[in-house]
Amino acid sequence: MKKKIIAVVTFSLLTACGSNNEEKDNSNVQETQKEQVVNVYTHRHYEPDQDIFKMFEEQTGIKVKVINASADELIQKMKMEGKQSPADVLITVDAGRLSRAKDQGLLQSIQSEILEKTVPSHLQDVDNQWFGLTKRARIIAYSLDRVKPEELSTYEELVSNKWKGKILVRSSSNIYNQSLMASIIANDGEEIANKWAKGIVANMARSPKGSDRDQVKAVVAGEGDLAIVNSYYIGKMLNSPDAEEVATAKKIGLFFPNQEGRGTHINVSGAGVAKYAPNKENAIRFIEFLVSQDAQQIFTDANYEYPILESVAPTNDIKAWGDFKEDTLGLNKLGENNKKAVLIFDEAGWK
Amino acid sequence: MKQAGSNRETFSLKSRLKRFKRDSNRWSVFTLAIVIFLALPIIFIGVELFSGPGETWSHIVKYLLPEYIWNSLYLVLFCSILVLVLGVSSAWFVSRFNFPMRKQLEWLLILPLAIPSYIVGYAYAGIFDYGGSLDLIFRQLNLDFIRIDIMNRAGLAFVLSISLFPYVYVSARAFFLNQANNLLEASKMLGVGERKTFFKLMLPLARPAIVAGLVLVLMEVLNDYGAAKYYGVNTFTTGIFRSWFSLEEPETAVYLSALLIIIIFALILFEKWQVRKIKFTSSKSNSTQIQRKTTTKSLKWLIFLVVFLPVLLGFILPVLQLIYWATLTASTVFDVQFLLISLQSFGIAITSAIITVFFALLLIYFSKWSALRFIKNVARVGVLGYAIPGAVIAIGIMIPTLALDKWLINILANFGIDSGFIINGTLIALFYAYAVRFLAVAYNPIDSTALKVDNSIPDSSKVLGVGNLKTFFKIEFPLIKTGVFSAVILVFIDVMKELPLTLILKPYHIDTLAVKAYEYASDEMVMEAAIPSLFIIFTAMIPVIFLNKLLIKK
Repeated sequence: MKKKIIAVVTFSLLTACGSNNEEKDNSNVQETQKEQVVNVYTHRHYEPDQDIFKMFEEQTGIKVKVINASADELIQKMKMEGKQSPADVLITVDAGRLSRAKDQGLLQSIQSEILEKTVPSHLQDVDNQWFGLTKRARIIAYSLDRVKPEELSTYEELVSNKWKGKILVRSSSNIYNQSLMASIIANDGEEIANKWAKGIVANMARSPKGSDRDQVKAVVAGEGDLAIVNSYYIGKMLNSPDAEEVATAKKIGLFFPNQEGRGTHINVSGAGVAKYAPNKENAIRFIEFLVSQDAQQIFTDANYEYPILESVAPTNDIKAWGDFKEDTLGLNKLGENNKKAVLIFDEAGWK
Repeated sequence: MKQAGSNRETFSLKSRLKRFKRDSNRWSVFTLAIVIFLALPIIFIGVELFSGPGETWSHIVKYLLPEYIWNSLYLVLFCSILVLVLGVSSAWFVSRFNFPMRKQLEWLLILPLAIPSYIVGYAYAGIFDYGGSLDLIFRQLNLDFIRIDIMNRAGLAFVLSISLFPYVYVSARAFFLNQANNLLEASKMLGVGERKTFFKLMLPLARPAIVAGLVLVLMEVLNDYGAAKYYGVNTFTTGIFRSWFSLEEPETAVYLSALLIIIIFALILFEKWQVRKIKFTSSKSNSTQIQRKTTTKSLKWLIFLVVFLPVLLGFILPVLQLIYWATLTASTVFDVQFLLISLQSFGIAITSAIITVFFALLLIYFSKWSALRFIKNVARVGVLGYAIPGAVIAIGIMIPTLALDKWLINILANFGIDSGFIINGTLIALFYAYAVRFLAVAYNPIDSTALKVDNSIPDSSKVLGVGNLKTFFKIEFPLIKTGVFSAVILVFIDVMKELPLTLILKPYHIDTLAVKAYEYASDEMVMEAAIPSLFIIFTAMIPVIFLNKLLIKK
C-alpha cells in the first residue's frame, strides 16, 4: 500500500514538475529563437474561437496563447502586472469593459487600415484603442400564444401597466443588462432611466434569476409573457442538442424594439491591443484576422452573432429574424454610464 | 494599598515577560514565520481596511447590505441544520450498524464533494426546469401542471447542503470509527439504550469533530458565488463581486471581504468557546474499531434508505442529469484532450494537497511544541483563507508576489538577464494560492484528530530523550494518520474543482477540468459543461476510493 502511495505521489509530482519545465523550456525558446507568439486575454469562452485561433496559427505561424477569465478579472490582472504584463490582446464580450480598460490606461492606440475600414465607426473606439468584432442585439422574446408583436414598440414602453407581472429579465449584475441601462441613460437621461428601472421592477413576473435562456423557458412555461434577452442565445437554443430547448425556442417570437426611433440596443464583443504588449505587431495581425472573412463566418455560423463585416452573410437562423435598425450610439457611452446604471438598478431594487 | 496594587501589576507584567522569555523557543518563531507566509495575502487585504471603503459604501449600506446579511444568515442557519442532520446521521449509521451495501455507501457518501456546487446547482435547475427531466416525466404522467421552482433561497440552501454535508460526515465518521468503541462498550454494560447512548454520549463527545466539519461547510457556503448568482440570491460574496466589478470599487469589495472574514473569525471563536471545557483526549486512540450492530431485516433496510438518501440527492441525481446532458453533447464536446487535462488536473491537485497538508502539519505541531499558549491562536489565523472568495485571494497573492517578481526582474536585468515573471503565471504562485486558500480544509481534520491524542504519549517519549521530530514521526503521525489522509482527500477534491483562483493565476499551458467546465457554463452552455464536470467527478473518485480503503484497513 505504502509503495503505491509513494508511486502515485511521485508520478503526480513528475507531471506537475514536467509541465513546469515545459513552461521554462518554452520561455527559453522564446528568448533564443524568438518564436512568434501572441498572448491573448479573453472573456470569450466559446469553442468556435479555438478553431479561429487554430486557423490563425496555421496561416501565420504565430502561436496563440490564451488566458480565459472574465473581463473584470483580466483587467485587474493586467493592471497589477503593469509594464511586465505578458498580455498582447484583450478580448471582452461587451464594449463597456473595453472602454473601462481604456480608461485605466491598459490599451494603446493602433494604426490599422484594415480595422479602420472594416469596423463601422460607432463600433470602434475614437482613439483606435479597441474595435468591435461581433454584434449582439438585446431583444424582446415574446410568447407567440399570448402576445401579438403589434403590442410591442420600445424598451421604454415595457413599463406600461399592461405588462404588469409579465416581464422576465435576469439579474442586474449581468453586463448585458447594465449596458442596456447605460444606453437608456445616454439616450433618455438619468431621470427617465430611473423611472424605467422602477417600472420594470414593478412589472417583473418574478425576482430576477437564472440566465437569458432561463428567461425564454419561463416565457414558454407561462411564468410571464416577455423576456429581455440577447439575440444569440435564441440562436443557440434553436440549435441546441436538447430537443426540448429547440421546441421551447420555437414557441417564442423575436421583437426588435425601438425600430421607429433610435434602433435596437446592440453591444459588441471586441478587442484591443494591450498598452505594454510585448508582441504588438502580432497583436494587430491577430485582431485584423478576427475581422477577416473566414473568422467572421465562424463567429456567425457557430455562435449566432451578427458579423461586423458586411460582406459576410449572417447564418440562416439569424437571417430569418430579418434586418433591423441598430442604435448607433457610440459604444464608449456604455462604459461611461456603467456605474451609474448599477446605482440606478440598486435604487430601483432590481436584484 | 495603591502602591501594592501597582507593584503587583508590574510584578505580573514582569513575570509575564519572564514567562514569555522562558516559553518562547524556536518553534514559536517557526510558527510565526509560517503564519505570516500563509496569511500574507490576507494581511494585504486586511491592510486595505484602513483606507476605508469607496464612495458607494453608503449606497451599499442603504440598498444592498441588509439583503446580503439576511440572505447569508438564512443560508448559514438552514445549511447548518440540513448538513448536521445529513452528515451526522449517515456517519453514525455507517459506523454503528450493518446494513445492505454499507461498504459502498461509506465512500459514496464522500462523493457529493467531488461535484462543484455550482454544477450541482445547474443540474438541479436542469431537473426542475421547464422542459427539464422532471417536467418530461410529469408530462408522461399527465402531471405537468406541477412545477417545482428550485431557483430561490431555499433551493440554494438545499443545493449547498447536499453538496457540502460530506465535510461533516467525514469528520464525524473519523471520530465514531476510532474513538467510540470503548465508550460504547461501557454504555452497553451500564444497560443504556441505543438511542440514549447516541444522544447523551456519542453526540456530545463527537461535537468538536462535527463542529470542525460544520465550520468548513459554512465557510464554503458564505463564499459560494456561482450557485448563488445563478439562483438569484444576493449574498456577501455576490456583493463583493458586484462592488468590485460592477461598481468599479475594489476597495469596497475588500471592505466587504474583511467584514466576511470577521464573521468567519467569530464563528471560529464560537467553536473554540463551545468546546473550551471539554477534554477530548483518549489515552487509547489505538483502541479497537467500533463493533457494528446487526439489526432486524426491516430496520436494516430502513437504515439503508436513510443513508442512501443523501447519496441519491447529492451524487446520483446530479450525476444522472450530467450524464444525460453529456450524451446530448458528446459528439461536439468530447475530445481526447480531456484525458490529458484530467491528468494535469490530477497532478496539480495531488501536489497541492500534499503541500497544503504539509503546511497544516507544520502549523499544528510547531505551535504545539512552542510552549507559548497564544501561538496556537495565532496559528489559526492561517485558516481564514478558506472563507475568502478565490478571486479576492488571487489579488491578495498577486500583490506580494508581483512586487517580488518585479524586484527579481530588476536585479536580474542588472546582470543582463531578461527574465519574465518567475512566480506569477507559473505553478509556484498557483500552489502558494491553493495552500493559502485550502489550509483550513487540511487543518481542521488533522487538528481534531491530533486533539484526541493524549499528550502523555508524546510527552513520555520526550521525557525519554527522544526529540520532537522523531517523536512525531514514530508516535504521533501513526496516531493521526486518519486525519492526515482525510485532509489530503479533502484538499485534493477542493483543488480539483477550484475555479476563480485557477483562472486568474494559472500558467498559459495548463488547463484544469474546472476551467474547461467553466468556459462552457459561464456562457450558458450548461449542457456542454457536463462532460468536463463528469471528468472532474471521476478523477476525484480515484483517490476517494483509494484512500478510503486505507482509512478502513489500518
